[in-house]
Amino acid sequence: MSENEPSKDSETAKPIQGVPNPTYEWMGLTNEWGIRVKPGEHGLRLGDVNVGIYGEVPERWEDQTRRPRGALPRPGIPPLPYSLRSKHEMWADCAANLYEEAIQRRWIPATEVPWDLLAELPEDVERSVCQICTELSQCANTELEIITYWQDQMSYGYFEVKQYLATATFDCARHLEVLRKRALSNGGGLGLESRGRVNRMILESSGGWTEAVVYLYLLRGTYLTRLLAGLLEYAHNDAESYIYSHMLEDHARHLTYGYDHLKYAATHHKGGAAIMRTLLAIGEGMFAAEIEDPIVKSAMAIIFGGGIEGGRTFGMERYLLLIREFLQDYLELCSWLGVDREETLHPKLKQYLEI
Amino acid sequence: MSEAIDMQEQHELDTSWMEKMGEWGAKATPGKRGLTLDDIKVGSYGDLPKNSDNMTGRPRGATARPDAYRVGAYSVHTLSEIWLENAEFLYEEALQRQWSSATDVPWHTLKPLPDAVEEAECLLCTFFNEVEFVAGDVPARWIAKTTPDYLEARNVLSAQVMDEARHMDVFRKRALANGGGLMRMSGATSGFVGSIDLARDFTEMSTRLHISGEGAVLTMFRMGELFGQNDAEKTMYRLCAQDEARHVAFGVMHLRFMGATAPERCEEIECYLDEAEDQLLAGQQNPAGTQSETSEALAILLGGGVEQYDEGHRKLLVIRRRQLKEYMKRVISAGFSTRFENGRSPIPAAYASTN
Repeated sequence: MSENEPSKDSETAKPIQGVPNPTYEWMGLTNEWGIRVKPGEHGLRLGDVNVGIYGEVPERWEDQTRRPRGALPRPGIPPLPYSLRSKHEMWADCAANLYEEAIQRRWIPATEVPWDLLAELPEDVERSVCQICTELSQCANTELEIITYWQDQMSYGYFEVKQYLATATFDCARHLEVLRKRALSNGGGLGLESRGRVNRMILESSGGWTEAVVYLYLLRGTYLTRLLAGLLEYAHNDAESYIYSHMLEDHARHLTYGYDHLKYAATHHKGGAAIMRTLLAIGEGMFAAEIEDPIVKSAMAIIFGGGIEGGRTFGMERYLLLIREFLQDYLELCSWLGVDREETLHPKLKQYLEI
Repeated sequence: MSEAIDMQEQHELDTSWMEKMGEWGAKATPGKRGLTLDDIKVGSYGDLPKNSDNMTGRPRGATARPDAYRVGAYSVHTLSEIWLENAEFLYEEALQRQWSSATDVPWHTLKPLPDAVEEAECLLCTFFNEVEFVAGDVPARWIAKTTPDYLEARNVLSAQVMDEARHMDVFRKRALANGGGLMRMSGATSGFVGSIDLARDFTEMSTRLHISGEGAVLTMFRMGELFGQNDAEKTMYRLCAQDEARHVAFGVMHLRFMGATAPERCEEIECYLDEAEDQLLAGQQNPAGTQSETSEALAILLGGGVEQYDEGHRKLLVIRRRQLKEYMKRVISAGFSTRFENGRSPIPAAYASTN
């Protein structure tokens, strides 16, 4: 028998200077052993290892330590201030897959955007693009700040969501980076800051992550998808196409999580749908006020119209169509979530459906 | 009034904002590493305020709007509190060096291991699974607290959040992919005074997290070639080391900047280093520390089995020695070398005793 074979009795173990004799007290301390997950055709994904007890996601996670889900607890560990400990407060079934997708679809603005294809634009158009970059930067900044505010308050029982949100954090940083790069590389500059009505509404959602998601993704995010799609359609060169198409791809993941989470919250949390309805009634008013602000509206119209003149006619019509399409998307989503807004949509938003 | 006229009046193009934009004529050009964050520090857009009064979340260089809402309660708004000279470089490197634990680790090279070796690896993976997200949760929290004027530093932290999510994920996957499972948590990262979590100052947090905690882990990851039992594990540790090196560099460079720009805080930082060094030598946060059970696991892995525990211990001592040496190099590089010369730090003596 080796003197160092696992044994509680280590008296015979050869003492090693500065190192206590091994106790091996940790050996055998596991909740479930014998797990052997094999990689599939997409490699070894986060969702693949959700087997046995390791895949059991509880409705409530009382543990306030950083115990990995499935690991054996250790008594006497002081708690950390995790405020979100119920599944309905953050969960979305798609989180693990979105996490892996985000990693596979990573992109690098510095070297993958064909910056050399940026071409000089008429000044009114360049100013409009730069103004939109400024506005979108603030949207990305708001998303970054609200995610990172909530991220560390989420319990470890739902680590798939935390992991997915880490990718969203990184996406937001990349959006901030690429928008700034676009604004500062074609003879332009940054624009006028946003007044920030909707940003404020999102950042002040301190009652819970779900409430923030209502504003961040259902309301603002659905609008941004149409905005980015419009920018992509009217991109002036391949550099802009690359930027907007990749931002859209990232954004689509964020919305997939957001919608999926809201559906989960609406169906698994008693009263959840009613809260969303109240939030939306307030939020729609703020949103309506924000889109009445002439700056984004005019800048988008100029981009769509190819200049100020075109912006006054076709460009503005195209922007108003964008708003109408957004509202149609929004109402469909609300209906799918069970928080129908068609009858009670804010009157100022209703006007856009009637144009 | 026709609908067309009505629309024209309500949604008239406004171009007055074009006169209020930020500095105009910025034309950053890509260099040999593409268009980097460093390249776009052109004109006033590269000017970093020593004290940021940005309370609205506007991008640095955009024009402030008097009626914008004050949504940013940024507690980190002084340059010396968070800045580092090579933030742009670290962020761009992070983008270039992202990897996928699903597809970049050769999982097929995992082979059944002797029980004690598998248990040792799983204990280490449980530990890393637990601690890696401290390093994700905590930087995330500080992103939301930092003014967007320091975009470059915030983006490095965002990249770190992503890196740590991947580390947490890769160690969980390893624990569940070779016939083992998660084991008992260490509790090393929980909430007690002086912990990474509870630090109320960014530099205090960074000293503990980046320099001490991640520094010790980096040395270990770099030695992964020694204790990895197969190519999958060696790859895993090598890729993690690459990420960890950036995080440690953030801490060193930030401390250097802070020491140079806010010398009145140096004595306070020395106190954090005092505490961090105690942890490094004996605390459970260092997986190779004298009081951590992961040390036993490491000795088994380094030796290749319990029968070779003595040999494993000898190698563990080499790791500890290297941890101390690398720690001293980092602290010296950060500008705090005096503590090693005036007897304040116990590290030189501990290092000498490992000879």
